[in-house]
Amino acid sequence: MVYLNTLQSADVIVFVLAGLMIIILLFGFILYFLFTYRHKQRDFNLLQTQKDEIDNQKQLLETTLHDLKLTQKQLIQSEKMASLGELTAGIAHEIQNPLNFINNFSDVNKELLTEMNDELDNNNLEEAKAIANDIIENEEKINHHGKRADGIVKSMLHHSRSSSGVKEPTNINILADEYLRLAYHGLRAKDQSFNATLKTNFDDSIPQIDIVPQEIGRVILNLITNSFYSVSAKSRVEGSTSGDDKYKPTVTITTKYVKLDNSALKKNQSTVRISVHDNGNGVPNSAIDKIFQPFFTTKPTGKGTGLGLSMSYDIIKAHGGEFQVETKEGEYAEFIITLPT
Amino acid sequence: MTADIYDVFYYCSLLLSAVTGCYFYKKIETPYKWLTILLVFTLVSELIAKFIAYGMGHPNSIVYHIFTPIEYTLYVTIFLHFIQQKKWNKLFWLSAVALLLFEIVNTLFFQSLQETNTNTMILESCLLVCLSLLLFLKIRETPSKRNILKEGIFWFNSAVICYYSFNIIIWGFHNMEVYMLDNPPQFIYDFNMILSGLLYLTYLTAIFLNTKKSSEIA
Repeated sequence: MVYLNTLQSADVIVFVLAGLMIIILLFGFILYFLFTYRHKQRDFNLLQTQKDEIDNQKQLLETTLHDLKLTQKQLIQSEKMASLGELTAGIAHEIQNPLNFINNFSDVNKELLTEMNDELDNNNLEEAKAIANDIIENEEKINHHGKRADGIVKSMLHHSRSSSGVKEPTNINILADEYLRLAYHGLRAKDQSFNATLKTNFDDSIPQIDIVPQEIGRVILNLITNSFYSVSAKSRVEGSTSGDDKYKPTVTITTKYVKLDNSALKKNQSTVRISVHDNGNGVPNSAIDKIFQPFFTTKPTGKGTGLGLSMSYDIIKAHGGEFQVETKEGEYAEFIITLPT
Repeated sequence: MTADIYDVFYYCSLLLSAVTGCYFYKKIETPYKWLTILLVFTLVSELIAKFIAYGMGHPNSIVYHIFTPIEYTLYVTIFLHFIQQKKWNKLFWLSAVALLLFEIVNTLFFQSLQETNTNTMILESCLLVCLSLLLFLKIRETPSKRNILKEGIFWFNSAVICYYSFNIIIWGFHNMEVYMLDNPPQFIYDFNMILSGLLYLTYLTAIFLNTKKSSEIA
């Protein structure tokens, strides 16, 4: 019994000591946990605040980006409409020619029909038949020129409309020629004194290539307009010169089919090269690195948006092509587009 | 008479926490719903045990042999809901299966249905202390903006780690006493009753804090 009591007392002490130790340990542990937790919580809250701030900034940036994209779209549209404005005179000129033909031939037909009536009254059937044949020929011409005018109007509408982005087989020579003439007549309508020699070196072996015609047309138009602007500016400065040294503004558009049969790569790497060369003022050396940047322009305020070459560059890149410029300040500028076939 | 007071305290706190849990059942988060289920299950088990002991006059140890593995399984569910990391799922459930197997082996070879399954209780307590430490780590890794003392999870976890740490000592001491003596001192069991009562009161606090948190979020 004594042994039992002794044992129980000793065990109680052990139990109490163990209990105390556990209490101290747990208390220490919980205090340590609370301390480290508070520390972490402070860091976490700071991080959370920073994250919220970053989120806000991100949201703001996204809104700004959205606004910028919207503005860019509007600018592209206005640039397109501006180029259309430049074309208007050219288009009017282009439509005027077939309309003149149509008017003239319809007048002739009117006279021929009166003549035919007279011949029929005189029972001169042979003569009436010959006149009828002439009328038919004239009608065919009227129809041909009517279709030409129709084509011009359609291509104008095509240009002003938003691009569908769908590539279609296109004859690059016809496209380049069309825009060259439109741009020339457009400028002539605005400035009667402007005159330039237009040279075309079209490679007839170029097959139809898959491009978005409105977009590539816009690029060609942009380059030609720039060239005209450059030669026109130089012409105004050097206009007083006479004799053999007299400055002759010349714009040359060249197309070339470059066929590279690379059997090692087992693929056809043919390309089409379109270059627009002018003997204008060229691009200043200080501006050469910036000409493809949006909103960069060497033209006076209000004369250019600075988006033409930038947009052209984007269009050519989107077609998987290359855009190069070769220039000598005061002598010439040549913009070269290379498109894959 | 003193033992009766401890009993009253224990049963009152258990009943109060179970009723509170049931009352706020729809308002509280999932782990607290499982905690309420555990409290109700504990209350029912204790009542059955009481009935077997005093109503039928038989040893009620069998109830604890069944209760312990189920209680641990419910705790595992609660902890998994708190931790919310799939990588722990397997390990947690494996520990529940291990405890069940241990209980079977313990019943067959060491502590029969006529004896209290203190070996299983000790193992359960060790496992719960581990789970609690893990949860503390998780809480610290992902701190919330709220004051930690207003979080139910903190009180629940503190209660688990305190109660089950003492449980290891209490049942370890009990084992030693039982095997060395015929009549182990009563104060150990009274102490256990007080701790259990405090445990359930802390659970009640945790549930109550969670209802407040749910209201704030709503």
